[in-house]
Parts: sequence; structure tokens; C-alpha cells
Amino acid sequence: MNVSSPPKADSLSDADRGLLRDSVRDFLSKRWPTEHAVEQSSSADAIAALWRELAGQGLASLGADAAEAGLREIVLVFEELGRASCPAPLLGAVAANLALAGQHSNTVHAMLEDLHQGNAMMAVALGAFDGDPAAGRADIRGDTLSGKAAFVEGAQTATHFLVFTSTPAGAALVAGGAPGLKMQVTPGLAVPPFSELTFVNTPAAPLDIPSETLADIALVARLACAGRALGSAERAFELAVDHAKIRKQFGQLIGQFQAVQHKLVNCLISLDGARLTLEAAAEARDNDNPDWRVFALSALAFAGPALRTVSIETHRALGAIGYAEEHEAPRHFRRVHADLARFGGAPRARAELADFVLGPAA
Amino acid sequence: MSALPAHDMGPAANAFRKEVRDWLARHWTPERRAAHLRKPFKERGWDKEFSKLMGRDGWIGVGWPKEFGGQGRSPTEQIAFITEMANASAPIQAHSTGESIVAQALFSHGTRQQQDEWLSAIHRGERTFALGYSEPEAGSDLAALRTRAVRDGDDWVVNGQKLWSTGGDKADYIWLAVRTDPDAKKHAGISVLMVDLASPGVTIRPSLALYGKTFSAQFYDNVRVPANNMVGAVNNGWKVITDALAAERVMIGGTRMAGLERALDHLTEYLKTAVAGGKALKNDPVIRDRIGALAADIEVARQFQMRNSRLIEQGKVPVHEAAMGKVFASELQERLGQAALDILGTGGLLSEDAGGAPIGGEMEQLLRHAIMGMIGGGTSEIQRNVIAQRGLDLPR
Repeated sequence: MNVSSPPKADSLSDADRGLLRDSVRDFLSKRWPTEHAVEQSSSADAIAALWRELAGQGLASLGADAAEAGLREIVLVFEELGRASCPAPLLGAVAANLALAGQHSNTVHAMLEDLHQGNAMMAVALGAFDGDPAAGRADIRGDTLSGKAAFVEGAQTATHFLVFTSTPAGAALVAGGAPGLKMQVTPGLAVPPFSELTFVNTPAAPLDIPSETLADIALVARLACAGRALGSAERAFELAVDHAKIRKQFGQLIGQFQAVQHKLVNCLISLDGARLTLEAAAEARDNDNPDWRVFALSALAFAGPALRTVSIETHRALGAIGYAEEHEAPRHFRRVHADLARFGGAPRARAELADFVLGPAA
Repeated sequence: MSALPAHDMGPAANAFRKEVRDWLARHWTPERRAAHLRKPFKERGWDKEFSKLMGRDGWIGVGWPKEFGGQGRSPTEQIAFITEMANASAPIQAHSTGESIVAQALFSHGTRQQQDEWLSAIHRGERTFALGYSEPEAGSDLAALRTRAVRDGDDWVVNGQKLWSTGGDKADYIWLAVRTDPDAKKHAGISVLMVDLASPGVTIRPSLALYGKTFSAQFYDNVRVPANNMVGAVNNGWKVITDALAAERVMIGGTRMAGLERALDHLTEYLKTAVAGGKALKNDPVIRDRIGALAADIEVARQFQMRNSRLIEQGKVPVHEAAMGKVFASELQERLGQAALDILGTGGLLSEDAGGAPIGGEMEQLLRHAIMGMIGGGTSEIQRNVIAQRGLDLPR
């Protein structure tokens, strides 16, 4: 990465990560400014152009080389994307970088080169590893893929799809526009909307990847999305705090009312709790601590309800001013909820954490 | 066996933990523990003989600077120490107020003579303290305190009333906040005295608090206190009190955190084998969901605590960060106690005196104790005010 020309991850300090954050934030504020973020998010051309520039900054290769950037850096960049309401197709890129790292075919090498240069955009479907039972599943037979994948983000702009498969467990690479591939846009709280993909004997390049690796990539995806929700929730919260310092009602600043103060304090506790646990989980993975999965589940189980509540309370502090779609808050409400309900959300994380502390249910 | 994986505290703290465990294995023996458990609940935790034993072997003041006879341990090591003590249920309350609050104040505000005499007595476990802060009209608004001290020759003469002093009926001395200038603005006219609780004119009235131990009201009727027992300058007591709070937060936060982790461990260990109505409780999806949420919350509380330690190690004083940790952990204790009652049902109401009480009756005690955490040392509401003003810069 050359966004801030950081040293290798082995020696990345908190200060280095601070520089990376500043650099990404600065870049996005210029390329994806608040006033155009929503409008640009519905433009495939705008997203493709942004992606090429992000790739030029080295961000398309996040996850490709753990020595260069670890999970802490991935989560950090997702936070900044959430903060800027920027739908850059990074989730697919990170998943592909992690999944394809051990693959040596020419197809894979060419694919990764295109991805890292910003010429390709990847969308990922986690299939049986998604955690949401309605996310669909796909099976590979020879060189063709059949099945369904729902709730896929970034599908509309994707040039390629990485699909996790069930039988056999592995993954498949599919080119956009391949025969037998259909895409249906499914609008909802997520903006840009998810899509549903159907594959009928679609030509695909099968990849042999162990289930454990696929499960870990899925967990990284969950943490990345929680990071994006954190960045988004935090930005909306900052707007609410600023608002409480200037908005007067009943002759005084609303930030002087204890009811408002305590509401905002509860939000800060939730935001800090989510940040500290997310960062600790990411750090544990970067340090090859096998307990990182437990710490990750803790972060996800906490962040789900906590950040969604922050989003709601932010709106209550902003009042009707923040309810208008032209305000920045509604896009963050959508993003926070869309990201935290994905992949089985907090209930799945709690169930998995219970598996750890109580042992599996009979 | 711990429910959640332990955080690696680093080689220094890990080695120190082992040292502490070894000492406890030799001195906090099963016989000694059994004898301690035979005492009524309200007497437990306060054991001056054990404090002297710890003092003899240098285990009081592990976080004190070496120049004052301490071990100069880092906040992380102090947490490791407190965790080991709490996990062993070792009785450390007799010396803990002197060790954390009084000593901390003496380091910065004590005279050389006070440091020589009082720190060494505390360090040996021979001089124990209670806190004399709250009054009938001064709880959350501590600076409204009215207990008066008037100078008379070489003494201060104290008149007034204090409330809710934990250990006030057992301690040798009280760390007493008094008003020395009634005409100054609230915070400006306060001083701190170390008062011998055996002095003539002191009346102590203990009462049983909800969690099962005593706290005390004291009445001061022309109590004479040597002027040498004032810590810090006259009328500078507010600074003396607030400066000592940071160290207190590490110690109290560490003890609370260790208690929470232990409670979750005991609850989950119980659930692994418990059966109700012919069904294994651990298979109940509602219980599993609740336990998953609590485990996540414990991890959050640990992270708040570790952030406070990191800040202190960086030479910073966590103020709103410490308040956030306290609010979260003390309210988590309440959630944990409530969840345990829902999970255990009526059996969860039984105390340790009831034969066959699930988890030895720990959970109803945990719940009663939770109230103290949300009140003592500044209520959750006061902590939220601090966070609003110091952490978010919201207007007063």
C-alpha cells in the first residue's frame, strides 16, 4: 500500500495506523464528498472510477499479504468507508485476496493483477458460510456452477464473482456476464442495494480451498462489515453531539439537558466498547493468536445491538432535522442496520459464543 | 477454567502472577480459607492478621513507587495481582483503602515525616483505614460537606457526622474530609485529616448494607485531632481527594472485573451439567443467547479496563475513560445477576446458607452487591455527567 507509505505490518505502530486513517479519510473527503456521496453511490461509473483510484493507492490489495497489512488495517479502512458512505467494492476484494493467496493458476494470477490495478471489481457470495440461512448455496460440478446467492453487495458493478461453494467445499470464480448467470437487484435498507444471483450451469473456475480457510474469511468479512458500521455510526454520532452544542430549545442548549447528555454518553460507551473489542480481535488475528475467533465473536455480539441503538439514539438527538433524507444521518442509519443484520447478525455471534463458553448444544 | 480466553498480559505480568500464586499457595492455605469461610458473611474479606502477613512479605503496595517501599509494579501487573487475590478470595479489604487512597495522597501531598511514619505502618498492614466522605447532605455533591474542623492550639477540633463508611466499624483510622473554611466557595474550604477512630468523642454506628456487610455512620463530638494528621495544606483537601482517585479506580476496577469474570465462570460451569425438568439447561436456546450476550459484555468490560491501564502506563490520567469503565462494569454486574435469576429460577434466590443452593448461593449475593457498584465511588448518573462534560465536551 502506498496511501501513507506505511512500513511493513510487522512494525506498524498505532501512530502508523493513525497516518493511514488520516490519509484514507482525506482521500475520501475529496473523492467521495458528503454532499455527493448518495448520488454517486447509484452511479456504476462513479464507483468504477473511484475503485481505480483506490487501487492506485494500494487499497485493492488489502488482505493479499499479511506482512504488509493485517486485519487491523482492513477494519480501519472499512470504518473510513462507512464514515464516508462510500460503497467501494472492497469486501469482495479482501475476500478474494485472502482466498486466492494460496492459488497458483494463471487464471488466478491474472485475476488478482486486474483486481489490484483497479481493472476488475469483485463481489463475494459466502453461500453456506454466510450465516444467513436465506443467503442461498451453490454447488460446483466440473467447471460449472449452479445455485443461488442472495444479499450480494456490489454485484451491480462487479466484473467478477467469488462464490463459496458447498459441495465440494471450496470456491469458484465466475466472470460477470457469464452464460447462465442472472442478477436481480433487491432494494432495501442497504444502499446500494443487494442483488440476488442465480447460476444455471454457469462456467466457473473451481478453487480448492479448505473449509477452515473459508470460515475464517467469512469471519473477517463479518468484522469488516462491523467496522464499516462502526465508522458510519460514529460519524452520525459526531453530528448529533455537534448539534447538541448549538441547538437551543426552551432557552438553552439541548446538550445541557441531562436526558440528552446521558443518551449521548450511552452512545459513546457503545461506540468505544465496539471499537476496543473490534481492534482487540483484529490485533489477536494479526498476532496469530488462535483465540482471535472468540474475541471476534465477542466484538460482533456486542456491536450488533450496541451500534444499532447508537444509530437510533443519534436520530432522537437530531430530531426532525436529521430525519430529512438530505441530512447525512439517514444514510448512516441504513448502513449501520444493513451491515449489522448481515451474516446472521448478533444472534449468530451470541450463539457461537455460547458454543465456546458452554460447549455445543446437544 | 475460565469461560473466556485470558488476555496475554505480557511476560512481566505473567511471571508476576505466578509469583503471587506461589505465595498464596503457601499462605492462603485450604485450612486458612476454611476458617475464614466459617466466619459470618459480614466479617469476611476484612482480616487484619492476613493483612499483616501480606505486609510482612511485601505484598501491600505492589504498585507504590520503590522510593516509598513499594514494588513499583505497572498498572497491568497490579491488575494481575488483584485478579489473583480476587480469584483466591483472599481477604484484602482491611488494608486496601490505606494502600490505594491514603498512600496515593501521601505520595503527593504528605510531609516527609508523614510519609515515613504512615506509609510504613500501612505497608506493614498495621494501620487500616475507612473513608469518611459522605454526609447526610453530601452524597453525590461531596463538596457540600459540612463536618467542621476548627484549629485549637496543636489540634483540630472536629464536629459533625459521616455516613456509609465501609469498614468504619473495623478500621483503625478514618480518612476524613472536613470543612476548615466555611466562608470559602464549596470546593475551596475543605481539608483532609487522618483521625484515630478510638479518639474520645467518636461514636460509631454500624448498619448492615444490602450486600451483607456493614457500613457505618460516625458522629464527631469535639474530637481532637493532632494538626500533624492533616494531609496537604489547609483548605487544599479537594485536590488531595481528587488526585488520589486515579489509583483507586485501577484497584477497584480490577477487583470488580475479577469478580465479574469469576461469576460468569461459575455460572457457565454450573450450566454445563445442570438439568431442569429432565432437560439439560445448556441446550436451552434462550439461555444460550443470554450467556452469549453476557460473555461478549465481559470482554467489553475487560477492554475498558485494559484501556485505563494503557492510559496510566502512558502517563495519562483516565477520567471519562475510567468513568465509562465503571459504568459499564457495574451495570454489567446487575445484568449478570438478573440473568442468573432468570436462568436459575427460584433456586437463584437461595443464599449460601441454604443447602444445595445453585452455585453456592453466589448469584443472589452478586445481585445485591451490584447495587453498591452503581452507587459507591460516584453513582452511574454522576459518572455519566462526568463523561458528558469531560468526554464529549457538552455544556454544563
